[in-house]
Amino acid sequence: MIHILGKIFSIISIISLIFAIFTGNLSQLAGAMLDGASKAVTLTLALVGTMGFWSGVMCVLQDIGVCRLLAKVIAPILKFIFPENCKKGIATDEIAANISANMLGLGNAATPIGIQAMKALSKANGDDGTASDDMITFVVMNTCAVSLMPTTLIALRRAAGSANPFSILIPVWICSVVCAAVAVFFAKAFALFSHAGYKMKNARDSAPPKTRESKAGTE
Amino acid sequence: MELLASAVICGVIVLVGAALLFSKRTSFDHFIDGTKDGIRTCVGLLPTLIVLMVSVSMLSASGLVDFLAEKIAPFCEKIGIPSEILPLVIMRPISGSASNAMISELFEQYGADSFAGNVASVLLGSSDTILYVSAVYFASVNVRKTRHALPAAFAAMLFCVFFSSLICRLLLPQD
Repeated sequence: MIHILGKIFSIISIISLIFAIFTGNLSQLAGAMLDGASKAVTLTLALVGTMGFWSGVMCVLQDIGVCRLLAKVIAPILKFIFPENCKKGIATDEIAANISANMLGLGNAATPIGIQAMKALSKANGDDGTASDDMITFVVMNTCAVSLMPTTLIALRRAAGSANPFSILIPVWICSVVCAAVAVFFAKAFALFSHAGYKMKNARDSAPPKTRESKAGTE
Repeated sequence: MELLASAVICGVIVLVGAALLFSKRTSFDHFIDGTKDGIRTCVGLLPTLIVLMVSVSMLSASGLVDFLAEKIAPFCEKIGIPSEILPLVIMRPISGSASNAMISELFEQYGADSFAGNVASVLLGSSDTILYVSAVYFASVNVRKTRHALPAAFAAMLFCVFFSSLICRLLLPQD
């Protein structure tokens, strides 16, 4: 991760420098560098209180079982998303726990459980280094996190002098739920396309009777 | 809308207070431990944030963001997306710290309660760092062939950009 950020830093700085030379904003650029470094410290100061407090709050909520309650609520929905795994009971508890931890913003708790879920899904797929449809759906759901309590965001808004830092809370709930649903839809739809493409490629590569055999073998 | 959101926040805090008073499963020590963790995470991000904040400030001072935003504005207007959020949209899938730096720069320039500020907030709240998350999960099981994972995740993210603009237009007061 660190080298990706290094590349981002170099790319942004070089692009900014080149553009600033063309537009004659070079003196502002040097000032911005100094401002940026100190802004990061002010921002952290503004965030540290809120983030610390909410981290404690979430810790207590986890203790009294809010996370498990949430996992129970979302378990029925998971039956629609991972029908076969739910029947066999593969990784379902881990997936429910991962998603509920993510919903509460407990990133540190969510990732290890999510990795356990991935391991179970990978085992069910034969550990062959290729992502199965369910693994992809699970990861895509994670990249589109439903967040009930976007505390960093609220703290950032407050730090920027928003009159109503909480005003975005309900839009965030609606948007993240809808987006998660759409993400699952995309994952499923792309899986259909990918299977269709795979079959077409097989049909092109080999003679028709063989294709049918190999298809029966993979499914 | 704001009243409901504030009520939820206060409700959570009262719930925590009640839990500390009556529940045996939690304790004030644990609350403080959680707080310490939060502070450690936040301060631990500071070195990265300093470096990224410098580059984000440079980017915005160079005028490139305004230049590009102006170029794509006619297209964005047609589909109802504020063009100012473009750098955030590019940065969001890559890095959480960088998008935090981006959004605070955006708040400073256009205001947190402006239309662009609201859309950026909703977008940041309902999306995640696609590349980082998928790298962590796929690497944990040594999967190299990720097939349609990234296309699906990016398609969902684009939908999220569109939908967050729509929902801000519908639900939040416009300045």
